[in-house]
Amino acid sequence: MAARQGNSVLGPQSSALTVRRPFWTFSRRGSLTGYLLVIPVCAVLLTLVAYPFFYAIVISFTDRVVGNAGHWVGLQNFRYLWNFVSFKRALTNTLTLVLVSDGLKLVVGLSLALLLNERLRARGMFRSFILLPWAMPGFVAFLTWRLLFLPIGGAFNLILTQTHIHAGIIDWLGQRSTAMPAVIVATVWRGFPFWCISFLAALQNVPQEQYEAAKTDGANAWQRFWFITLPSIRHVILVVALLSSIWTANSFENIWLMTQGGPSDATMVLPVLAYFGLASQRLGEAAAVSVAIIPALAILVFIVAALLQKD
Amino acid sequence: MASVTQPQIGIQAAERAQVQSRGRVRAVLTYVVLAVVCLIIIFPIYWMVTISFKTPHDIYRAPSLVPHNMTLDNFRTLIVKKRFLTNIRNSIIVATSSTVISVTISALCAYSLVRFKYRFQGLIGRLILLAYLTPASLLFIPLSVIVARLQLGNSLHGLIIVYLSFSTPFSTWLLMGYFRGIPADLEEQAMVDGTTRIGALVRILLPLSLPGLVAVSIFTFTGAWNELLLALIFITSENKRTVPLGLQYLITGDTFLWGPIMAGAVFSALPVMVLYFLAQRFMVQGIAAGAVKG
Repeated sequence: MAARQGNSVLGPQSSALTVRRPFWTFSRRGSLTGYLLVIPVCAVLLTLVAYPFFYAIVISFTDRVVGNAGHWVGLQNFRYLWNFVSFKRALTNTLTLVLVSDGLKLVVGLSLALLLNERLRARGMFRSFILLPWAMPGFVAFLTWRLLFLPIGGAFNLILTQTHIHAGIIDWLGQRSTAMPAVIVATVWRGFPFWCISFLAALQNVPQEQYEAAKTDGANAWQRFWFITLPSIRHVILVVALLSSIWTANSFENIWLMTQGGPSDATMVLPVLAYFGLASQRLGEAAAVSVAIIPALAILVFIVAALLQKD
Repeated sequence: MASVTQPQIGIQAAERAQVQSRGRVRAVLTYVVLAVVCLIIIFPIYWMVTISFKTPHDIYRAPSLVPHNMTLDNFRTLIVKKRFLTNIRNSIIVATSSTVISVTISALCAYSLVRFKYRFQGLIGRLILLAYLTPASLLFIPLSVIVARLQLGNSLHGLIIVYLSFSTPFSTWLLMGYFRGIPADLEEQAMVDGTTRIGALVRILLPLSLPGLVAVSIFTFTGAWNELLLALIFITSENKRTVPLGLQYLITGDTFLWGPIMAGAVFSALPVMVLYFLAQRFMVQGIAAGAVKG
């Protein structure tokens, strides 16, 4: 594309120039400048992303602790994790968190987007309103949700007792059965606006004529949704679902600020477990925790990268 | 003729009335659902704001949905006793510096990747996307080793450098989408008139993409402003804590500080939310056209 530009820029002079200066042509000079311009970002990516990424894999095969580089121990850390109860809990909890909360975000986000795509009064106002949880800093949102669930000072217990639905106080985040659902509710609340707004933007690009043609052919609302709406926003649904799964699987602050993985590992997830490993200075095992999900994560990342670059 | 068409019109009118009333029911239902959604969205925010103005007695002893005695004590405790302004200052330094650095180098990189043609260009673009998708939770352990080795631990400039790991790929990716949407004709004309490539970037492309640059800066700034995990790992002394870090230490420190914590939440959410609303139009467009769809 830039080569085409180069030609059109130089136009009639270019041939003369290339004859006189066969080596130092415009496009060569252009490509040199091009390389120079990407150097700073490439340096950042190599030192702060690529190098740490491979370094994490190396550390996960050593018994490194803080202050001691350690030795190569092969798969020992992974074998240890395989029998480590907290790791198994973290693995299943991470999976539950991703599947349930992203499933809910899909349902809520898509239904709301379909509602908002109707001809509505004050649609712009509703749309801005829906963005509120997403515009909020994550740490503010999850601190607030922790407060909402508190036994004393929390709003939900207050509402339950005042409306006489439930007489006793429920320690939502302090008991195993309710801690995970509570975290999921907060995660969905914070995350659904991104889904909804992405879907709404995609819906508004669906050509209106298709619906009118389907209507004259006698298709009902469900058929129009299934045969027109869904196929035209399929791409966006897939991209958003994959992006959100990657983010949710690696989310730290929702769990950290609400439960810190407790009570007794009921909400422990892999990033929090890795953080605890680092805090207890056992770098090898901590790195193994985060390296363990690289294969699954890599599949998601490569699919979403391919989809994003398809254009 | 007229007598034949008359009943048909009657039927049509009846049908139309039926359709209209069905439409009205649907509209009412739609608004009811939207109202419930708005309530669910607003309630946590309402609770955060009211708690920040309540006395400890009204928070724990006599809780109520509507605040009675409004007070500014929580904000006073937060700022005077907990030195929250130091946290704010640290966050402003870190977020501003990492935004300026990453938007500057990202603009150069995005310009090169969108407008130039050379070998490895596609590869670099793909690596930037992969870096954007690589989560910080995979990188924080090796980064902690690297930062310790470079003796950058527990310092704001160390944090600024580490934040480039997520802000740079993100802003480059967004800016590439934005630059691609701006036609190259003007730059080409300027270069015919003798402007250099860099001149075309500085004098033509950057002014034309100013709204995009502002939006990308806002997202990069808020990303750094909101970051908790890396700050938790790298900052150990109290006077270097950023805003999220300061607030997280308030919950682990004392159980009964929810008034000041929510005051801090209001304090730190307000500027960011205002910025987000200014940038939202761009983000929605970006989702529709560039940033998410490629």
